[in-house]
Amino acid sequence: MLPPFRDGIDRRGFLRTGSLGGLSLAEIIRLQRASGAEGKSKKDVNCIFIFIIGGMAHQDLWDMKPEAPAEIRGDFLPINSKVPGIEVSEILPHVAGVTDKLAILRSLTHGDPDHTAGYHVMMTGQHPGFGGNFNRNVTNNNMHPSFGSMVARLGRNTGSFPPYVSVPNFLNSGGPSFLGPSYAPFVIEADPAAPDFSVRDIVLPEGVNSDRSLRRQSALRVMNRFEQPVETLSRQEQSLDTFYDKAYQLMTSNAARQAFDIDRESLATREAYGMTSVGQCCLLARRLVEAGCRFVTIENGHWDTHRKNTESLRDLLVPALDQGFAALLNDLDERGQLDSTLVVLTTEFGRTPRINVMAGRDHWPQAFSIVMAGGGLKRGLTIGATDKQAASVIDRPITPSDMAATILTAIGIDPDLTLHTPLGRPVQLAGGGRAVHELFL
Amino acid sequence: MTMLRSKTIDRPLTSRWVGFFVVFAFCCWGPITDGLADDTGMIERITVEPSSITLRGANRMQRLLVTAMRSDGQLIDISRRVHYESRNREIVRLADGVAVGLADGESLLLVKYEDLEATVPVRVQNLSEERRIDFVNDLLPLFSKLGCNGGGCHGKASGQNGFKLSIFGFDKDADFDALVKEGRGRRLFAANPASSLLLKKATGASPHGGGQRVKPGSPDYEILEAWIRQGMPPDQPGSRTLVKLTVSPTERVMEFGAQQQILATAHYSDGQTRDVTDAAGYVSNATQVVEVDRHGLVRVGQVPGEAAITVHYMGQVGSVRLQVPRSKISPSFEFAPQNDIDHLVAAKLRKMRIVPAELADDATFLRRLFLNVIGTLPSPEEVREFLADTRHNKRSVWIDLVLERPEFADYWALIWSDILMVDRQKLGERGAYELHHWLRDQFARNRPYDQWVFELITATGNSGTNGPANLYRAVETNEELARTVSQAFLGVRMECAQCHHHPFEHWSQDDFYGLVGFFNGVERKPIAPGRVFVYHSGLKETRIPLSNRLVPTRPLDGNIVTDTATDPRRVFAQWLVADDNPWFARLVSNRLWKHFFGRGIVEPEDDLRSTNPPTNEPLMAWLAAQMVEGNFDLKKLMRLIANSRSYQLASATNETNQDDEQDFSHHYVKRLPAEVLLDAISHVTGEPESFPGRPPKTRAIELWDNRLPSYFLEIFGRPERTSPCECGRSSEPTMSQALHLMNAPEVESKVTSPTGRVAQLLKISNLDNDAMIDELCLAAVGRMPRGPERQVAQTLFAGSPRKQAAEDFLWSLLNSYDFLFVK
Repeated sequence: MLPPFRDGIDRRGFLRTGSLGGLSLAEIIRLQRASGAEGKSKKDVNCIFIFIIGGMAHQDLWDMKPEAPAEIRGDFLPINSKVPGIEVSEILPHVAGVTDKLAILRSLTHGDPDHTAGYHVMMTGQHPGFGGNFNRNVTNNNMHPSFGSMVARLGRNTGSFPPYVSVPNFLNSGGPSFLGPSYAPFVIEADPAAPDFSVRDIVLPEGVNSDRSLRRQSALRVMNRFEQPVETLSRQEQSLDTFYDKAYQLMTSNAARQAFDIDRESLATREAYGMTSVGQCCLLARRLVEAGCRFVTIENGHWDTHRKNTESLRDLLVPALDQGFAALLNDLDERGQLDSTLVVLTTEFGRTPRINVMAGRDHWPQAFSIVMAGGGLKRGLTIGATDKQAASVIDRPITPSDMAATILTAIGIDPDLTLHTPLGRPVQLAGGGRAVHELFL
Repeated sequence: MTMLRSKTIDRPLTSRWVGFFVVFAFCCWGPITDGLADDTGMIERITVEPSSITLRGANRMQRLLVTAMRSDGQLIDISRRVHYESRNREIVRLADGVAVGLADGESLLLVKYEDLEATVPVRVQNLSEERRIDFVNDLLPLFSKLGCNGGGCHGKASGQNGFKLSIFGFDKDADFDALVKEGRGRRLFAANPASSLLLKKATGASPHGGGQRVKPGSPDYEILEAWIRQGMPPDQPGSRTLVKLTVSPTERVMEFGAQQQILATAHYSDGQTRDVTDAAGYVSNATQVVEVDRHGLVRVGQVPGEAAITVHYMGQVGSVRLQVPRSKISPSFEFAPQNDIDHLVAAKLRKMRIVPAELADDATFLRRLFLNVIGTLPSPEEVREFLADTRHNKRSVWIDLVLERPEFADYWALIWSDILMVDRQKLGERGAYELHHWLRDQFARNRPYDQWVFELITATGNSGTNGPANLYRAVETNEELARTVSQAFLGVRMECAQCHHHPFEHWSQDDFYGLVGFFNGVERKPIAPGRVFVYHSGLKETRIPLSNRLVPTRPLDGNIVTDTATDPRRVFAQWLVADDNPWFARLVSNRLWKHFFGRGIVEPEDDLRSTNPPTNEPLMAWLAAQMVEGNFDLKKLMRLIANSRSYQLASATNETNQDDEQDFSHHYVKRLPAEVLLDAISHVTGEPESFPGRPPKTRAIELWDNRLPSYFLEIFGRPERTSPCECGRSSEPTMSQALHLMNAPEVESKVTSPTGRVAQLLKISNLDNDAMIDELCLAAVGRMPRGPERQVAQTLFAGSPRKQAAEDFLWSLLNSYDFLFVK
């Protein structure tokens, strides 16, 4: 007879005193109050965070200036959309059909033209603090936790599924910073559009069937003396123990593993999102959120259109995003999940008003656009405005900290919460930003 | 809530309970044990600080600190429990333990606690005459006291709503301009101070994001108002300056639920002192043990341990070390010392009322020794040999043997390559190889640490052939060199002082640029792709950017360097490695200690600032002295550490030491570092890892290329080597690690390899199942199987084919905590 199998998550899965490290007790009290006993509120909102790497040309997509001279307005024309009065680019035909589900924020501004700083400030809400030059060799992500890590750390835990997942790759500023590696994303490191797509290490290796796996796990149980109270383990062992629990649940939970199995979607659904990397990432993200994931980051690269901006956008970059993003909003809405899922489409900065000699646009952090949808936010509106050349914000500037506060508020985390770094420096989650109140009902 | 009175946490509680209890207890600070009405002793006497008081001019207030001594020697803050009385209430009155001067004259304060009494004479001077408000000494501190210039408010780099102050008031000129000149002068009106925006905002009369910070008519308001009325005088050249900050108490043992007021006193160049308790800032480095509010009141929770409170005031700092023992009763225990380390460790344990763990068994000791010293598992044969060794001094003998193993140089070169940022991406293949190779050679020869550091700092020549010259390629600017060298070899973090006065330390920009000066003039002449010729072109003037101010070159707290004939780096390196350098020997001793014990005596190990004191100062001082006395022979100190009883303690805990994470009462369990773990898996499975472009059987600890693609090394925390510390290396567990160890085809193929350990064992004809189980256990966890382990292994062998059973047992060993951790 093999020893009985492990007695479930309860004894070993609960938050332990050791994992209180990093928060002061006052903070814990505040968190407890914040997450409170009011039960499931509308604040159980998940987030799908699409990051356009390289800098998304706002004036070619979201903030068209048809009246501007040709070298400013570019080659694209605006088209009407589902919402009267909201125009988007002609290369966003799918998105034009879902503008009643989203909000375009046209007045983002932060002023740092560097990619590294741009990623960081737009993925964490705080400028990394190094400043001035391009292409600095700076360690990413040692400055402030990403939104996903904040959610993993502070959001309501939904059990077995990893709370923060990054698809298809890790984003440089997507890490936990001082919150510690326990709040790093689970990175799938595989492209869901690939025919042989599978997630690393979540299925048993070849030659090991479930019977054999059970025998191994039973032996491991004895090796690790699970009959003893978990308190007899050291802090690091307890922490790994928690991850073994979660890993094992992921491996053995059909629902969890199936979440990664994108082949379970009908061909029609997959094609509705488009058989592209970003399209299938959007679809996978929806599946992960359904399975209990709180925050999914989608990385979509190569938007740094310093040359041939028109062709790059029209032929290579925008169609896949247009189709996948619109399909995601439609799908979530049809499933009644749009109000409980915040979708953010963001980027490190916009692009220069004037088209350069290589027919490209360069970096422009002074004014640019992002899109937010769902999560209980108002739908079918635009916020803020830029001048005639889409060069500077003339109405309602929104800083990355304001964006952070908006995202956190929508998700249900107090953006004013102050955490302390290991060296004791107080850090406000959203860097003092104020949520864009016009977005909230 | 009062049911919590004097209740202590009994172990074992379920972890759920503890988490809840701690939170709950902290919700109600007030009514927890007062430490007075107690069976441990009576109050024997009370003392009052300060013992006499002089209040002058704008300085009208002085907090009193009343301390009771209990008959068992325990000191308790009773400032909030005593009765205060002023003999002459026209001269001075008392409000919440603070003496407030009202008119010139003298009075006597009476402090009464039960039948005990103390008196404090008070003199009030120059109160009636209007005194000129001093911008630096009177006004700026107010902004700290009121919280205006903190990092969360107007002190942050971007200011707040258009009004920006320097953080904690370090830049008096910028603050003066911000107040007087910016905003078109609308912030202050000398003709009508009350209508100044500053006062309207501060009092909340005009909408203010920070709310009301000061009440009209309060002493703080009076200072602000008087300064404006006097025409906003700037800093007066020649006026008295702040020379130091003292705090009281500096150290205290406290009990659960107790409170302690800190008293902060500023000392000025003219000999005057001032109570700045309310104006100083306070930070606790262990908020789970103690919290401190902005008035300097410390509150102990229900978690035992040790904390340091940093007190900072106008660029000066002080610290208070607090110890919260686990129990009120001092336990008695035997702790047979094996060398002097043990006396020092035991002394601290007695103070903290902690009973140390038992001595670890031989097998645990051997595995720990191998992993710590050479990053390598002992082989089954070595384990057997050691267990069979009957010599009474066998541990000492084996320590000497392991220290002389060739893997020693590989492992320590890896560790130091992290600290010195030997990053292939930055240095290129040649540079990374040369610097790593040079480091390895220093350890292979056990060259004295001071000597090789001297050579490294003064490195000159071709980076393609002279390894240490690559330090100047890894670090490319003079500012970064100053930061790197001070962190890596002194444990002094200067990064804050590059831009502003260090908030928690007395370093200023002048100190930082004084160090930068030594590197100002380092030249890197390109001689071939990826190679430079490094040399120093001689001492130069160094200026602070922006202010463009000239700063003399000098070491920290040292003399100005003017010698233009010598390479300034030599002057610096001589100062650096000198026996009397207060940091150099300390840092390397602390690094070694942390490597062997899993935690530094100072933590983080490379942050030796005065406000981050060691948990055991006598031990720290003694180790550093040994390092100097032993002429920086690193192996010698390692030998001393490894031979101590303290190092050889078991990781299993008892009632009294299970919460201890800083006094070395038991061995702190740590996961094997990435490279060591990968090598261990290769060793146990008998299937070496193959690294692209490296000879077969290359071990991970031998790699000089930190960017060699390896999913395994990445998820187990291999550092990128972009900062001068060991902090880039993570040993924190993640879910990817658990998934990888359980399911990765790469690991599985090692377990089931046809040439691996299991396959080899199966070929031995007379090896029965029990012997097979022994072999696998010895290889993986360095000991014989325990009873239940043997049983479960036998069950596996009974239920499946022999090969499969052996593989399954090996798999479970590789995923076991006894394998993954150094116990």
